[in-house]
Amino acid sequence: MWSEKYRPRIISDMVGNEESRASIMEWFIKWKKGTKPILLVGPPGIGKTTIAYLVAKQFGYDMIGLNASDVRSKSRINEILTPALANVSVMGTPMIFIDEVDGIHGRSDFGGVSALIGILKEPTVPIVLAANSDTSDKMKSIKKAVKTIYFKKIPPRLLQVYLENILKKENAKLSPGSLIKVIDKSQGDIRSMINLTQSFVTGFNPQIETKFENINIEDGVNAFFKANSIEEARIILYSMQIDPREKINAFYSSIITSSIDNSTLAKYLEIISNADMLFGKIMKTQNWRLLRYLNDILIKLYQNDDRIRYSQYNISWPLLNRIRWDGAKIKSLSSIMAKKLHLSSSAFVTICLPFVLFCIKNKTLELELEETYADIIEKEIGLIQ
Amino acid sequence: MSWRKIPMKFPGKCIICNKKIEINEIGLWAKGLGVKHEKCAQIDQLQCIVCGAPAGCPQCKFIEICDIPNVSQFCICTKCSDEKDAFSFYQKSTNKKFPIINS
Repeated sequence: MWSEKYRPRIISDMVGNEESRASIMEWFIKWKKGTKPILLVGPPGIGKTTIAYLVAKQFGYDMIGLNASDVRSKSRINEILTPALANVSVMGTPMIFIDEVDGIHGRSDFGGVSALIGILKEPTVPIVLAANSDTSDKMKSIKKAVKTIYFKKIPPRLLQVYLENILKKENAKLSPGSLIKVIDKSQGDIRSMINLTQSFVTGFNPQIETKFENINIEDGVNAFFKANSIEEARIILYSMQIDPREKINAFYSSIITSSIDNSTLAKYLEIISNADMLFGKIMKTQNWRLLRYLNDILIKLYQNDDRIRYSQYNISWPLLNRIRWDGAKIKSLSSIMAKKLHLSSSAFVTICLPFVLFCIKNKTLELELEETYADIIEKEIGLIQ
Repeated sequence: MSWRKIPMKFPGKCIICNKKIEINEIGLWAKGLGVKHEKCAQIDQLQCIVCGAPAGCPQCKFIEICDIPNVSQFCICTKCSDEKDAFSFYQKSTNKKFPIINS
């Protein structure tokens, strides 16, 4: 692949972010024990990871590369980093690089961030972190312990010069229109720009419709079941950049509330069950590398089935309606009856209500209640066996 | 979002150029975003790293897709990019301007 073939070999092979590159070099030249680690912040595909690997190579460090999944729990951090930090002489000259550090958020953090901050405050080896964004609360606490270097998108004209250089080396040509299209669609992401160019040059015109670049959960589920081919469904699935748990729940609630036959429903639920088990395993073992298989499981749900529409609620509408309205009425009734019988409302509903309903049905009991309760009592009597 | 022109009460860091803004210097501040130099706020075109002149952004064919304040601030002007070996010129100029990159 061209993106691998033209991966920069030295730092001056890179394009754009000249000041940031210079700041990183300066930091490495001046680095001594205790120097604040650096955090590289910028959009994906502009060379944060590449520069970390290149400087490590250039300064003769042995890179220990981690990602967010490795730093989610304190125990995992200690397991990986303690040997490197404690036995520097045995390990050679290590340098720690933690990619996508902003990927630890909310409930996925099992003490990892605080353990990481502890290490960042007393660095014995060079530590480089990389993140796409530094605005979350977790990142704010990390930022206090590091020096932040920002990477920005690369100006499109500079990308054009870079791309034309690659095309010249490959003895290939791209029409001016395609060149602009490639630069526009890649949105400053060099890696995707090179891949896209190679696709165009080799005659493959990939689908790069903006509507699938990053879609929300509702549009995603609806478009998934309306997709004309499995390839299109797969693109949509990968474009749904949301929490995996939310993704599984969205498919579950949409399927369960749709009017599909029982055998299809069973088939769909089996697939969702597999996805759920995979996610459960990821959460239990914190092995986030398995996440890449989630979409491969969910793609089995694809069937051009327009009966399935996105639904936020995972119970059917009649049942939801009953819970919402009848539930409120029963609650109100139970609070009145509970006072009369010197019970709690929940004790009345669980223990007494069925007997009271039987008595009303058999006309052995007559309650002096407002007329508004007549409907709900009638409805509940109809439901008892 | 509104940027307010304020004399700096405390030292700050410009969100555009990442350089320090000294006390009493005039900065532009917006809640939740930070501060920036007055001159950084006025960036309307990028600088050509090869010849040092303005990159000619208003006439650039990429003007509609280039988010000027949020891209890396060195570009290449039409004249320099039309040279036969433009990328090599770019690399040489970068190494000259930032010799540390090539150290």
